Amino acid sequence: MVTLFSVSNTLSAALLGALAHILPTPLNGWATSSGVVTGLAALIFGAILLAASMLNTILLIWWERKLLGRFMDRRGAMHVGYAGLLQNFADGLKLFRKDTVRPGQADPLGFWLSPTAYMVTSLLIFGVLPISTGWNGGSLPLTLLLALVIFSFAPLFIFLGAWASNNKYSLIGGMRSAAQMIAYEVPILLAVVAVVIVAGSFDLTTIVQEQRDYWFAVPLFLALIVFLTGMLAEMERIPFDLPEAEAELVEGWNTEYGGMLFAFFMLADYLRALVGSILVVLLFLGGWTLPSYVPSVLTSFPLAGIVWFMVKTYIVFGIFVWIRASLPRIRTDQLLKLGWMRMVPLALLSIVLATLVVKAGCPPVLHCVPPMGG
Amino acid sequence: MWVNMGPQHPMTHGLWNLRVRIEGEIIKDVEPELGFLHRGIEKISEDRHYNEIITLMDRTCYVAGLAWEHLFILAAEQALHITPPERSEYIRVLASELQRIASHMMWYAAFVQDLGLMSPFLYGMRDRDLVLDLFQSFTGGRLTYEYMRVGGVRNDLPLGFTGQCRRVLDWLIDRFVEYDHLCLASTIFHERCDGLGVLPAPEAVAYGVTGPMLRSAGSHRDLRKDRPYSVYDRLQFDVATATSADVTGRYLVRMEEMRQSVRISRQCLDWLDDHPGPVLAAQLPRWLGAPYAPVGNESYLLKRNYPTGLGFSMIEEPHGEAGAYVVNDGGEHPYRVKFRSPVLINVWAAKRYLPGYRVADIPPIMGSVDVCVGECDR
Repeated sequence: MVTLFSVSNTLSAALLGALAHILPTPLNGWATSSGVVTGLAALIFGAILLAASMLNTILLIWWERKLLGRFMDRRGAMHVGYAGLLQNFADGLKLFRKDTVRPGQADPLGFWLSPTAYMVTSLLIFGVLPISTGWNGGSLPLTLLLALVIFSFAPLFIFLGAWASNNKYSLIGGMRSAAQMIAYEVPILLAVVAVVIVAGSFDLTTIVQEQRDYWFAVPLFLALIVFLTGMLAEMERIPFDLPEAEAELVEGWNTEYGGMLFAFFMLADYLRALVGSILVVLLFLGGWTLPSYVPSVLTSFPLAGIVWFMVKTYIVFGIFVWIRASLPRIRTDQLLKLGWMRMVPLALLSIVLATLVVKAGCPPVLHCVPPMGG
Repeated sequence: MWVNMGPQHPMTHGLWNLRVRIEGEIIKDVEPELGFLHRGIEKISEDRHYNEIITLMDRTCYVAGLAWEHLFILAAEQALHITPPERSEYIRVLASELQRIASHMMWYAAFVQDLGLMSPFLYGMRDRDLVLDLFQSFTGGRLTYEYMRVGGVRNDLPLGFTGQCRRVLDWLIDRFVEYDHLCLASTIFHERCDGLGVLPAPEAVAYGVTGPMLRSAGSHRDLRKDRPYSVYDRLQFDVATATSADVTGRYLVRMEEMRQSVRISRQCLDWLDDHPGPVLAAQLPRWLGAPYAPVGNESYLLKRNYPTGLGFSMIEEPHGEAGAYVVNDGGEHPYRVKFRSPVLINVWAAKRYLPGYRVADIPPIMGSVDVCVGECDR
């Protein structure tokens, strides 16, 4: 079976084999030794992941712009590339050419560190997310927990950058981000616990495999709602984009960032949106699997798992965009109230439901989704 | 901590500065700073022919130009003892009401944008464009119209205008339902707007706050009813009011006002269909008919033997009650012109209705005031 690691291993071996032909005798033996091949394979593996995640992120921005345009009765980006596909690359290039300016009173270390760390932690999650069978960085028993831990680093760096910027809007935005994190992290983790109880594992691959009979979205609908809402807050999208509420805080915590640093924040935001959508697909929508009644033509072509996985991810992100297009922004105190007084009890309830599902099996009435194919 | 919201800030919708003293997220004190857009319109007016001042009126409030033209010509006609033809009065009322719809739509778009609603912003702008197309068809302009004249209006409505206008009004009436669905049906909208920026009627009157802000507090004060000008006393409409005195109340008042404006416009269109006639008074002073006569110091010396007079007018402008005072000393130019801007008063009352709420409440509250800095600073 083709996996991401086998692909990079083959590439690495081929490259080093070609290199060994040119190199003198003592070196060519070293170049083809298994340690070097594996090392280069790991590098190629990382490069592929990086390229894929960045490409998908930029596509995601395009997808959002087009969808948002349609919701707003307009067409979105149209001019650069086919249907505006290259518009975001052009925007990125423009930002790349811009000067990065640090305000005189801003703290240099925090100011430079924050966007970098924000970006890096967002990229890091892709190393543990499985895209299809075998298409992941490695099979750890606690992938899900690791992903969520890295995911929730972000508000720390947001707060750091906001404080270092020495700007009042940034500071208020950073404070809001910290307050917001407390409100949504707890319900998200509780909702995840419900999934873990039913799946019996913290490993994302196992969680997907456990959904062969029914997608967890069916028995754990409540947890799905809580998780979606929490993810919206985690991504800081409307209606929960209070930290960068542009109406009162200009641009919130990234007011002082311009040029490529702003692009870093922007990209990392969409990386996190991509991760959020992927997590929803993995935990509740059966990952890369499809129901068994789907004709096999649709599931047997090469890399079908990845294709369907991406389709699901983009659909989930489309739901987030839909929400953004139709809801106003709520206030910090209302978000805290929502998090603690609505979402936490609902998440606890979903845990109770999850234990019932485990104890009694999924009730037949919920088997509305026929068994999944592997 | 004092935070400057403005003069370059997404909340302000124009050039003004709101200084806010906050403790945490709670607003303790506010201090509006105005005057960034002061162009000295009142002083410039003393140097211009009456019809040339109409150009300035478009710039006074750039989202309600026709309403301000209406205001000025009413005062100028009183000062110059000119009676406009009846048909022109109906056209003016029609133009003012269409302008009210366009202005309120601009407000709607900006207000929902402040709440974070992105789609209705574009819906509002899209539908406002239809009204602007109507303006273009009979005034030639979309923002600065220069349409009304002392003694009437510049030109009659073009052929087929009334039919087109009715079609647009029918379309708009349906859109208002859609707007309400997008806002009033949303729980988050109510959580963000109910009980915010409360300004009870007695205090509103004490501050001099007028327009939708006053009517949202239960008052029935509307100059079109209380002190009818042009032909408003011949038209059927209701005064839009609400009782909550908060942001939601102002929203409801403005939405209802747009519906009533559609009603008034339809009556005007019916009348205009049946009563053709002149739209500019026949016996105008010659110099008034030549608005592009050279303006220079020598024209000060050319005092005409024309009766002097004072003119005062008040109209219900989309933002509130606007007033104009014109002193005619018998010359080509008015001796003194003074305007009363409703927005200036409404913004200054922020000291009363903002403290106690949160930073996140500033955009919806100030959005519900409908600030137009052009007329505020003049």
